[in-house]
Amino acid sequence: MLASLKAVGIGKVYESGLIFKSQKTILQNISLELEEGQTLGLMGVSGSGKTTLGKILAGLERPTAGRVLFGGKDIQRLHKKEFTLFRRQVQMVFQDPEGSLNPRKSIEEAIHDVLGLLKIPKGEWRERSLDLLETMGLSDELLCRYPGQISGGQNQRVALGRVLLLNPRFMILDEPTSALDLSVQAQMLSLLKDLQRDRGLGYLLISHQSDVVKYMAHEIFILEEGRMKPMS
Amino acid sequence: MSSSKKRPILGVDELSVSFQTSLGEVLAADEVSFRLHEDETLALVGETGCGKSVVASSILQLLPKNAEVHGQVVFEGRDILRSDEREMSHIRGSKIAVIFQNPSMSLNPIIRVGEQVAEPLQVHRGIPRHRSVQMALDHLNRMGLRGDTAIMYPFQFSGGMNQRVMIATSMILSPQIIIADEPTKGLDDALARDVVSEVMKIRDSSGAALLLITHDLQMARDVSDRVAVMYCGQIVEMGSRDDIFENPQHPYTAALLNCLPEKGFQPIPGSSPSMIHSPDGCKFHPRCQKRFERCRLRPPMEVLAGTKGASERQVRCWLR
Repeated sequence: MLASLKAVGIGKVYESGLIFKSQKTILQNISLELEEGQTLGLMGVSGSGKTTLGKILAGLERPTAGRVLFGGKDIQRLHKKEFTLFRRQVQMVFQDPEGSLNPRKSIEEAIHDVLGLLKIPKGEWRERSLDLLETMGLSDELLCRYPGQISGGQNQRVALGRVLLLNPRFMILDEPTSALDLSVQAQMLSLLKDLQRDRGLGYLLISHQSDVVKYMAHEIFILEEGRMKPMS
Repeated sequence: MSSSKKRPILGVDELSVSFQTSLGEVLAADEVSFRLHEDETLALVGETGCGKSVVASSILQLLPKNAEVHGQVVFEGRDILRSDEREMSHIRGSKIAVIFQNPSMSLNPIIRVGEQVAEPLQVHRGIPRHRSVQMALDHLNRMGLRGDTAIMYPFQFSGGMNQRVMIATSMILSPQIIIADEPTKGLDDALARDVVSEVMKIRDSSGAALLLITHDLQMARDVSDRVAVMYCGQIVEMGSRDDIFENPQHPYTAALLNCLPEKGFQPIPGSSPSMIHSPDGCKFHPRCQKRFERCRLRPPMEVLAGTKGASERQVRCWLR
């Protein structure tokens, strides 16, 4: 059975100020459903709440109203084991590739961290790291390099590869190519399409680049003044 | 004036720039040569790290001290790479102006924008403060920043408005050449379109020559008269905008254009080479679908037969 990630009536209000409190409504009554093998495109101007909605869906931020359902269950009510599984199966890839990796750890160490979390035997780490680089179309010479020593596109592919080790079913892609050059962007989009075809991943693609969203998404929504509407 | 009759006002000849680093020598610009003609826009396009900005910084002697520079940059009949700091201070701003990529970082956050736009008039022309601020206000008005904008601070402006302030500051001394270094980098689509429209207004109204450095091919196509394509520190192809976009001759130019949305985001195989251990021969040959034995040798930049002057077509490829 295909899994789904669903947002129902999501609202988010930020409060600011210590004495004179003011409120800012970012999201109002947003409902959407991500399905495996499908890409939902989310567009909107800077500050419209796209990233906030992505974080709520990934369980990284709590909504002030509404629920996020994973496999039909409210993620706030999941048991610890179920929540850990949700965290692995719904992953977020951020815009800034270098910021996604620890600058003081080599690429090999960054990959080993995830393999350690997955309790993979140490004897397999080297082989699994090389497999990951091959899947991402990267050279094995990168293993000894640090994030500051490789390009933005290579960092972004390493960050994506680390996420894929967790075998997710859904990925929230927050402006995954907006910091990349044209040719690297084309490589990244092609890789994302291949991964979706091979693994049946479901994507929420957040971007202000309309060409990219139109190329990738099966359905497109626009976030405007806290509300979401389908793109005509 | 037809493009072939335009006079060159800046000549860059065999400019090479290298940096010594702990990992080895980085050859950031490798025998770069081009002419910028009066009243024209030349776009220097290429991907991040290919050496575009190094070329711009070399022209204005803004490189760090560990840079080793060879070649010539001829402006007003002299090689300005040999000019001392006093001469360069005079040239920067008054004759050759630069618009940097991050306007919010390039402006002083605690000085009102009107004062910042007026500063070049006070420093280079000795115009008194009150009059120069009035002139700055007129200039900002022409850039579409009206009302009390001159007494506001950069943090009160959006990125696009700050970019307009930067453009106004660069233009206030009516320079002969403007170097715009990635003026749309980091801006979202709507702001980038605003900035492109400002750059086009400048080109049309000032008569200055514009050296536009960008990785944004759409912008280069909208704004430029000629385009030079850089790859791994070298210019690999140069020609008129229409020739480059409609009939690319170098395999890298063709591959780069195939990455555009309208061509379906077709990726180039492999990744950009390191500038420390760049490939021998043609630097693109390890990724090139059309490579053959001769590509292991360094190809010269050759002028295509039947082209000359500002419409000259040059390609660095053994296939031509």
